[in-house]
Amino acid sequence: MGRDRFPKQSLGSLYSRIKQSRVLMVGAGGIGCELLKNLVLTGFGEVHIIDLDTIDLSNLNRQFLFRHEHIKKSKALVAKETAGRFNPNVKLEAHHANIKDAEFTVDWFKGFNLVFNALDNLDARRHVNKMCLAAEVPLIESGTTGFNGQVQVIQRGKTECYDCTPKQTPKSFPVCTIRSTPSQPIHCIVWAKSYLFTEIFGTSEDDAAEFDHSEDAENAKEIENLRQESQALKAIRDSMGSDEFPRRVFEKVFGDDIKRLRSMEDMWKSRRPPEALDYDRVSQSASGIDPSISVKDQENWNLAENFVVFSDSLRRLSARLRDTQAKVSDGDAPPILSFDKDDVDTLDFVTASANLRSFIFGIGTKSKFDIKQMAGNIIPAIATTNAMTAGLCVLQAFHVMRGDMEKARMVFLTRSTERVISGEPLHAPNPDCPVCGVAQSKLVVDPTRATLNDLVESLLRLELGYGEEFSVNNEVGILYDPDLDDNLPKKLSDLGIKGDSFLTVVDEDDDNPRVNLVLSISEQPLPEDSKPVLLPEKVEVPRKPKAVAPAVEPAPPVANGVAHAPNAADNADLKRKRNASDIGLEDEQIKKRGKVAEETSHAVEEDLVVVEDSGNGAIVIDD
Amino acid sequence: MADSTPPPLHGPSSKEKKYDRQLRLWAASGQQALEDSHVLLVNSAGPGVVGVETLKNLVLPGIGHFTIVDPATVSEDDLGVNFFLDEESLGQSRAKRCYELLEELNPDVEGHYIAESIENLLEKPDFLSPYTLILLVAPIPARLIDIICRTAHQTGTPVFYIHSVGFYAHFSLLLPSAFPIVDTHPDPASTTDLRLLEPWPELSALVEEKARNLDNLSDYEHGHVPYVLLLLYYLERWKKEHNGQVPQNYKQKSEFRELVRKGARTNNPEGGEENFDEAIGAVLKSLHPSKLSSAAMEVFEAEECQNITKDSQTFWVIAAAIRKFYLDHKATPLPGAVPDMKAQSADYIKLQNVYKTRARADFHEVLQTVRTIEKNLGRTTSVDEKEVEAFCKGAAFVKLIRGRPFHIAGSKAGINWGHRAKFAYQALQDPSSLLPMYLGLLAVDTYHAESVDKPLDESSLLSYTSSLVDNLEREAAAAGSSTQDVDLTEAKTQVSQVVQELIRHDGAELHNISALAGGMIAQEVIKVITRQYIPIDNTCLFDGIGSRSSVLRL
Ligand SMILES: [Zn+2]
Repeated sequence: MGRDRFPKQSLGSLYSRIKQSRVLMVGAGGIGCELLKNLVLTGFGEVHIIDLDTIDLSNLNRQFLFRHEHIKKSKALVAKETAGRFNPNVKLEAHHANIKDAEFTVDWFKGFNLVFNALDNLDARRHVNKMCLAAEVPLIESGTTGFNGQVQVIQRGKTECYDCTPKQTPKSFPVCTIRSTPSQPIHCIVWAKSYLFTEIFGTSEDDAAEFDHSEDAENAKEIENLRQESQALKAIRDSMGSDEFPRRVFEKVFGDDIKRLRSMEDMWKSRRPPEALDYDRVSQSASGIDPSISVKDQENWNLAENFVVFSDSLRRLSARLRDTQAKVSDGDAPPILSFDKDDVDTLDFVTASANLRSFIFGIGTKSKFDIKQMAGNIIPAIATTNAMTAGLCVLQAFHVMRGDMEKARMVFLTRSTERVISGEPLHAPNPDCPVCGVAQSKLVVDPTRATLNDLVESLLRLELGYGEEFSVNNEVGILYDPDLDDNLPKKLSDLGIKGDSFLTVVDEDDDNPRVNLVLSISEQPLPEDSKPVLLPEKVEVPRKPKAVAPAVEPAPPVANGVAHAPNAADNADLKRKRNASDIGLEDEQIKKRGKVAEETSHAVEEDLVVVEDSGNGAIVIDD
Repeated sequence: MADSTPPPLHGPSSKEKKYDRQLRLWAASGQQALEDSHVLLVNSAGPGVVGVETLKNLVLPGIGHFTIVDPATVSEDDLGVNFFLDEESLGQSRAKRCYELLEELNPDVEGHYIAESIENLLEKPDFLSPYTLILLVAPIPARLIDIICRTAHQTGTPVFYIHSVGFYAHFSLLLPSAFPIVDTHPDPASTTDLRLLEPWPELSALVEEKARNLDNLSDYEHGHVPYVLLLLYYLERWKKEHNGQVPQNYKQKSEFRELVRKGARTNNPEGGEENFDEAIGAVLKSLHPSKLSSAAMEVFEAEECQNITKDSQTFWVIAAAIRKFYLDHKATPLPGAVPDMKAQSADYIKLQNVYKTRARADFHEVLQTVRTIEKNLGRTTSVDEKEVEAFCKGAAFVKLIRGRPFHIAGSKAGINWGHRAKFAYQALQDPSSLLPMYLGLLAVDTYHAESVDKPLDESSLLSYTSSLVDNLEREAAAAGSSTQDVDLTEAKTQVSQVVQELIRHDGAELHNISALAGGMIAQEVIKVITRQYIPIDNTCLFDGIGSRSSVLRL
């Protein structure tokens, strides 16, 4: 009798294994709160919680471990505190940190029996996937979008990994589309948020991630014009706070810059040329409109209304920046403002600026409510989906802990009325996967002595038998290949190869190349008489499969819509949040609003999500 | 950076901010419906975690009120499965402690608790009247379920009947006998309704204006004729060559697609035209006559729709008006939305206006009918225009669910499968069906019919399940199912495995399963309360061993 009566009764022999296990939960947002509760009440012995994020008001409709008084506090710490009250027998450990921090090494991951991803951004998901593969720890990956959810079990060598199926990366746009030739509302929104707002209130040096520079070279002349345009805008920034400021900004970006664009006749041969706005005329038509119009967030404002909100929000933001400046002491970095979808001043400014630009280019305008979603990359989120997804994570964990991967499933939640939950057997690893279709090993390196040559010659060529043609790479790029041998005498430490970074050895042999070898570096002083680089265990690097592997089928749409949908609200990685959430403009939004409707591959619709599995999925029989 | 900025001067209310993520799923109208609701949770015997988890998922998004009925006091056992109970709770009323901790989750929700048994409470005849939705958690004596369901069915109050035992969860849903839904949130890709086969004069005029001289247009203009107009233009050409008939079948549609494809100019750097690509892509999905879905047909054929009275619900008044529209025009009102497409802005806006104007006109015609109905019947309140407009926009996707009583396994004589006997019998023969679990749970209910305190007994359960199977077979045979050559060995084995599993757990709840089921149930509750999306009809089973679920109409 007592606390563990029910779990013991239901779980049988598995219960004692669960009690002795040590698990890691990455992310304490929507799924994380539910999952932590379930882990604690299932009796997992030790649970580590890691999340970089702090609590926001918009979390409280589902992240039930948090209350109003916790706003701005660490999610990981508060989650631990709240959940700990309910089962004193479980050991909880919280890390208010970024999972990508160097302290969370492969060895640290090895200390867990199981890792749960309760994340919402692609980047952190990929990182944990890679670490778990390297540490050979099973990973349970999950994600939600609105009513949809997904749970996937990942185990090195046995199942697909997160990167075995290609994932959509956040949308980006050519610079010229945003700056010179917008044709959709989203182009104007990105312009307002990532160009205009940043130039006036932020640091323009941080180039926004939604800018795609791959076409810059072809448009060198226009790019140079645009650079000068930005410079001129920066000069206007100095008059911030003066009465003339809104006029000067307006006349620059909605007047002069547009006239310049219009004069580029080639640009408008196949497009409607933009019409510059006249400050005095617009301002006259706006007299008598109260700035409080900005609370009507479901309506599409007319030109004059957008003008009023533009001027008013520009004043509000200028005053804020000035106030902050007054408080900054000399020597500190100058203060800046960042776009935040939940910060009304910044949202008003972006809404009005984007719409004014839309008028200029003859594009439809959007309501503030819609722009919030498009600019802030808001993904709908509710408690019910999280509850189901977290529950499914734990059920999959049972299979993994029993070592019964045959029974583990890829599980989908759908809005469909017939199949609430459906599953499919796990897929085998994709042999061409750049992440798990590789050999892995630890590489012990003596940082005082080891050179790249030690690695290339004595280890790779002599010990492992690599031929002439191969390259050594890290995140930054190629360190060695037969045509690039300058680095060979350099110490690895001087090449930026530190503990817990990764090196990838790519065999470029024409006939029978090996799969890629990923080496995770571990630094430690080695005795003088031993080699300065060594493999702690013997490594087999298999050859690449001969036959041309069938093309990887794209992940089911839900994987694109859900698994890596960056969600700013419950983000385990605040730094990333600024990037990931600001970049990713939700596919569905783009699809719906923009001109990509014909791209059926984009169709992230619930009804496509259903995965039939006559043996094990949910079955509907009806007459 | 956000930290260094002072709070904004004005903005959305904190409630809007808190609910921002969900308002994007059910809008302000859905939120209002949630806030107007009062959910009753009835726990009687058993750990009752699944109900509390369900409530948690309803308190967070902000239902108005909840009430917990539960006679139990908190024991050590509870602490291991119920997240909302802590050491301090030991010995106190379980209803009270759960209420306190749930209410903490959302200050906008008002909670209540009654630490008494439902049996006593039901003696007050109007006890159930304040509640807009009832969650009944097994085990609970059958005759009490019966009383509650009867009362609820009279008042049109939805009831969820719930099991959570070990790795198994189940819920059945009793809806009012007519439960219509206007806002079903159909897949946006399926809602495009362009009426290409039934163009009206204004639309044809626009085709004439923009596409008549197709061959003489400049490359730029040619590449910017909206695809809708292209399709209409080529349809006219097709009809001339086919006795005025539009493409009838797949083969003809493919031929038509070729015709359009040939019209594209390819002597340009792109080697084609985007607007033509869009047109080609739309041929198969857009060239069908507007036909009413069977779901919408059911609404218009419903008796309630054909016999409007002074007291009919507004839904039926509007439905009757739209039915008239449909009979007059052989089509539902035009929704009016036009998808994005390659076009010059001015042309696109013109096209949009043609559709919008027509949609407005259709809406006004329906509204006129509504007003006439109201006048003729002497109805005192008039239907909100906005409601009529929303109905017109979604008319092709409305849905009517006919709530039916779920099975109550009260006596050893078993249950009556009625007109679902054939279906259930067929499901029983499908080895992947979860029907055996349902039979096992019904057997447990039979066992608990009189008293919920006795530990489960295997031989009784097996005898109940086997009579359930036999009765089902008999009923199905009477309804015309062939029972010859049907081998139920596997089904019977499955049923007995379910019984073993139920005995093993003996009423124990696994927190994780109850939490998951709490998510599934709350999701359906939200659909029912907001009258948005289509709720399950009417039984959902979940097997946590295989992580699979199934929805059966029983
Ligand atoms: Zn992989």
